[in-house]
Amino acid sequence: MSQVRIRVQDKAKAGDVVNVRALVTHPMENMQTRDGKVVEKNYNFIHKVEASYNGKTVFEAETTQAVSQNPFFSFPVKVNAPGKIRVIFHDTEGKTYTGEADIKF
Amino acid sequence: MTYTEQPNAPRRQALRLFGAAGVAAGLASFGLLPGAAAAATGLGMPKPGEKVEETIARLFGNRPLQAAGDKMKVELPLIAENGAVVPVRVESSLPMEANNYVKNVYIITDKNRRPLNARMALTPDSGKLSIATNIRMGGTSDVRVIAETNDGSLYQFKQEVKVTVGGCGG
Repeated sequence: MSQVRIRVQDKAKAGDVVNVRALVTHPMENMQTRDGKVVEKNYNFIHKVEASYNGKTVFEAETTQAVSQNPFFSFPVKVNAPGKIRVIFHDTEGKTYTGEADIKF
Repeated sequence: MTYTEQPNAPRRQALRLFGAAGVAAGLASFGLLPGAAAAATGLGMPKPGEKVEETIARLFGNRPLQAAGDKMKVELPLIAENGAVVPVRVESSLPMEANNYVKNVYIITDKNRRPLNARMALTPDSGKLSIATNIRMGGTSDVRVIAETNDGSLYQFKQEVKVTVGGCGG
């Protein structure tokens, strides 16, 4: 099944900008065409990504089908205290995939 | 021939209409189809194709696009062998302070059916503009990266990427 993997650097200092890399296993269905016409169906792809650090939103993305399969995002977070980064991926079938990682000092 | 078919035509039309409506109503009321709820909101439903000018007009109105110059550094391949995975990395020296920061970064592929690849929103807590992702490209096209600051000014970076094998039906 789908899963989220998050990577951050081992140790950080107060005031550091940490790059968070988040990846989710997801098919990101492509638009299909038949006889030159787009097939009308509810395509399953990630349309929204939200990331929060200690409960505060730090990053958000609105994505379309033109993002690769198993989408990966890298984004910066400025950290002042150790805590937990949480990334939530929403797909168009209403499922959510959540991943968490600790940032240690 | 047509003469004999005519009397039946209204009846057939009526049947067809009734049949289609009946099936649709049945499905909707049961709500058993996976994704029926999502279909109602239309999240994953295909949207009509769009020209890049229309996308830009839809997103930014008629605000001017400034060339990013050395304010923004974008890493994009010149030739992408596989259009299904084209890495993009955006770094910038634009300030990220409490009331002067980059609010959104848009990635747009000109010749895709729906040009907008992704919009990424940042906050002053991000500290520095540095993002990366992988995009799909249907074929050789210009790729634009547009940074929008909180006061509404837009910085654009544009580069052509040659795609050997397209990786995007949409």
